[in-house]
Amino acid sequence: VTTYRAIVLEHFRRPKNRGRLENANAESEGANPLCGDRIRVQAEVCDGVVREARFTADACALCIASASMLTEHVRGMTVEAAGAVGQEAIHRMLEGTPPPARTRCVTLPVETLRRALGEFMER
Amino acid sequence: MVSSIMSETESHRIDPTLADEPAVAMATLVSATGGGSSSKKIGAKMIVGRSGRIVGGVTIGGCVDARVIEAADALVDEGGRRVLSISLDDDEAWEVGLTCGGTVEVVLDRVGPRDEHDPILAANAAVDAALARDEAAVIVTPIEGELAVFVSAEDGTRAGTLGSAALDAAAEAAAVSVMHTESRVETVNGRRYFFDRHAPPMTLVIVGAGQIAMSLSTIARELEMRTIIVDGRERYATRERFPDATEIRVGMPSEIVASITPHARVAAILVAHDYKYELPVLRHLLRTPIGYIGMLGSKTRGAAVRDELRNEGFTDDELARIHSPIGLDLGGKAPPEVALAILAEVIAVRNGKRA
Repeated sequence: VTTYRAIVLEHFRRPKNRGRLENANAESEGANPLCGDRIRVQAEVCDGVVREARFTADACALCIASASMLTEHVRGMTVEAAGAVGQEAIHRMLEGTPPPARTRCVTLPVETLRRALGEFMER
Repeated sequence: MVSSIMSETESHRIDPTLADEPAVAMATLVSATGGGSSSKKIGAKMIVGRSGRIVGGVTIGGCVDARVIEAADALVDEGGRRVLSISLDDDEAWEVGLTCGGTVEVVLDRVGPRDEHDPILAANAAVDAALARDEAAVIVTPIEGELAVFVSAEDGTRAGTLGSAALDAAAEAAAVSVMHTESRVETVNGRRYFFDRHAPPMTLVIVGAGQIAMSLSTIARELEMRTIIVDGRERYATRERFPDATEIRVGMPSEIVASITPHARVAAILVAHDYKYELPVLRHLLRTPIGYIGMLGSKTRGAAVRDELRNEGFTDDELARIHSPIGLDLGGKAPPEVALAILAEVIAVRNGKRA
């Protein structure tokens, strides 16, 4: 088992920050229309900083791993910095790059969080 | 003469074709003993109008129905009640080995479709109200003697009376077990009563909007089952693909399933063949009283899903609720054949048969 694979499975079986965030003030839902991955990312933003981020998902192992690491990663970041996190950061945490066909599995949580924070900033 | 099929969920209603009659006879099959293979489900009804119109039937082949119609005609004219105990043994049929065998008991009551005080119509209205709330209800009537009607619904709602508060309470207690099984005769305070169960149709929650789901929704409609198609993919879960579905819901499948009350008349059928839906949906369903859980996949795949959930803390008893491989082994591979096998298993489980 490669390190990449072990990390994905660890986050899939014991995801960080899975579940609803009661005090969320930023929220968005995203889907991969063909494979059917569905995710909702929520964040609690206070004084321009992401205090907490959580997710709910019916999604594949890679997508859940991505959401798990992303929500850990952005805690304590400014909204701008959290919104600027890209798939490269997830790849680093995964210690590997997913096959091209699975790129959307990684980017779905990233894009969904970015949309949630973007809508929060527009309010 | 009108003769039509009466669905089980509508069997308590007086067919609209008979609503203009001043009086009709309602025959109810209350028991079948012996062979019984020719009898319909206990509670089956036949309505006979003065005009000769007939709706429904109490036997499959109609061998008894002629005698019931004869008695019904007299009842409509003369009033009162009738209890018919009819042997299905026929001397000539016996000689050639074609007898049905056994005895059926049929109760006939006179109903006034236009009488707003008719106790049977009032009971039917109470049943309709319960069904509208998606709850079962039981109509209790004595088999012999004067007609009295008591209705006990799943939520504790009552209507009518058998004559005393104590009798109603005893009937209500007996109705609880009937509510979750089948119509039958019960003895209350030394007297025989018919407990006529009426339940909403089964609901199939089908997760995964692929071809098997399409066949499931089509066949389920014939079986008078409601279908809720659940998927996260908008392009799959469409009305065009599921013209027969009762409801189509797109979103996070585990959340959609969690929003549906998982009582004994609900069956969850997981045909997405994708762990991303199966695991979160099963995590929710395994600790609910839902009537059936089935999951498409091989024995190996089913074992892998169970192992994953076992590692999360689910017990063997909980995991044993998952029917996987799903469906009775009919040997078919085409989507309609698989759908038929799945629905056969759902019906077998509902009826308490081994599946």
